[in-house]
Amino acid sequence: MIVFEHVGKRYGGRSEALADINFRVERGEMLFLTGHSGAGKSSLLRLIMRLDKPSRGRVLVAGHDLDRFHLSQIPYYRRQIGVVFQDHQLLFDRSVFANVVLPLEIQGVEPRESARRVRAALDKVGLLYRETALPIELSSGERQRIGIARAVVNKPSLLLADEPTGNLDPQLSADIMRLFEDFNRIGTTVMVASHDLALITRLRHRVLRLREGRLVGDEEAA
Amino acid sequence: MTRRTTSPESQRSTRRGARASQVGLESRTRAWLRHHRAMWLDSAQRLAKRPLSSLLTMLAIAIALVLPSGLWLALDSARLLDAELDESATVTVYLDTRLDERAAMDVAARLRDRAPVAGARLVTAAEGLAEFQQGVGLEDALASLEDNPLPAAVVVTPADTDPDSVRVLASNLEAVDGVDEARVDLAWLERLRRLAELGQRLTLALAGLFGLGVLLVVGNTIRLAVESRRQEIEVVTLIGATHAFVRRPFLYSGAWYGLGGGVLAIVLLVLGGHWLSAPVTALAESYGAHFTLPRLGFGGSVLLCVCSTILGWLGAWLAVGRHLADIKPR
Repeated sequence: MIVFEHVGKRYGGRSEALADINFRVERGEMLFLTGHSGAGKSSLLRLIMRLDKPSRGRVLVAGHDLDRFHLSQIPYYRRQIGVVFQDHQLLFDRSVFANVVLPLEIQGVEPRESARRVRAALDKVGLLYRETALPIELSSGERQRIGIARAVVNKPSLLLADEPTGNLDPQLSADIMRLFEDFNRIGTTVMVASHDLALITRLRHRVLRLREGRLVGDEEAA
Repeated sequence: MTRRTTSPESQRSTRRGARASQVGLESRTRAWLRHHRAMWLDSAQRLAKRPLSSLLTMLAIAIALVLPSGLWLALDSARLLDAELDESATVTVYLDTRLDERAAMDVAARLRDRAPVAGARLVTAAEGLAEFQQGVGLEDALASLEDNPLPAAVVVTPADTDPDSVRVLASNLEAVDGVDEARVDLAWLERLRRLAELGQRLTLALAGLFGLGVLLVVGNTIRLAVESRRQEIEVVTLIGATHAFVRRPFLYSGAWYGLGGGVLAIVLLVLGGHWLSAPVTALAESYGAHFTLPRLGFGGSVLLCVCSTILGWLGAWLAVGRHLADIKPR
């Protein structure tokens, strides 16, 4: 699903954010990406989302060399990836439903089919009863779950999460992780960047460890 | 290989056969139309939500449109005037004073039959005197004259009113037997034509400048709108929105601003026309002419609205293009 071959990334004139990264993720896998802040987790995810291009090496996702994409193809590529952000990136001027339906609107799915899928996604994260609420009325845990619903509503084959539990207490964090495991169980490839080592070790999935832009550990699932 | 076949979307759709039908051309077109309709409404609602600032923007556009279109109207009326003047571009042929009335009629008939002459009207010496007395108000002075000093004249209307050909016609007419002099006063007509040409160029230049002004007004408004929806743009870009999708609501906003500005400009032109019509008519009457200010009319109004809408759309397109490049998801 994801292949990194000797990938390096340098922003401007600064030192390398990523250096000689090599790894391979199979379809349907679930794994964590860990390291201190500034170790390169976000840079790595940005490369997969094709927000940045690598300075060196190659990134392949689902068989596509991301470097070869024409600018106009990138949006279509991104529609295959669900992304969950630490700050959930919800739009506060519209309801929960309107937030979750956004990816389907962009893809031009019929309204009735969209509504059905949005409700299914909201139901999955346990917030169906809040579909008319505004994000401002929700707790941070609920907002994060809405962010997840939006990421999975178009059934992406790859789900990326950047510190999805960053602001949550341990109980809520565990709930969120359980959601990711559920999606993984139905075949979605899931990659979660997190520095919450206690949580990660408890969950027993494969872990990629980054330190100062280098891959220093790749521990298979226990 | 076309781009379509290499796009991940189509590859995915072939991979997931069940979804292939959903990305067919027909449903894509329907989705595209649906989004257009949604954005058309959404952009109008956004404008309506802030009526005062929307109105001010439209008013700024309207003011920029009023001057060139007002000038254009004025010029159009000058063209009407010009056409009237063309008809009055006549050659006055003065006949030999020795000719009697019968001979004068013969000459007039001969002039009438010449090639580039549209018409010839004989003004006998007596008629000429009467006309002169009426027009100038010198009855007493003229009445004291023993003889009629005026010659008979033929007023010739040329078929071709172009100044050069009128001049040629005049010199040809002078060669006719019994003709003393053919007089044509074209200087003022040419002067008027030059003025009209100057006015036309001035209008074009002003239209260009003020059109640019409309682009800037819309561009600046849209720039602010893009800035205020920055987060939304970042989010939809992250989840796979194309540039066209992101641009669409702003283009509609620009078109709405343009259309609103065009309608307001028409209102301003009508009000201005009413305001000016009384003094203009009075002024014309004092010159013994009948003249009313021209109106924009239905066709002109539609044209103005179409132009302003296109200008608004274009301004938005330029602004969004410029500022979307700056917005890159963090």
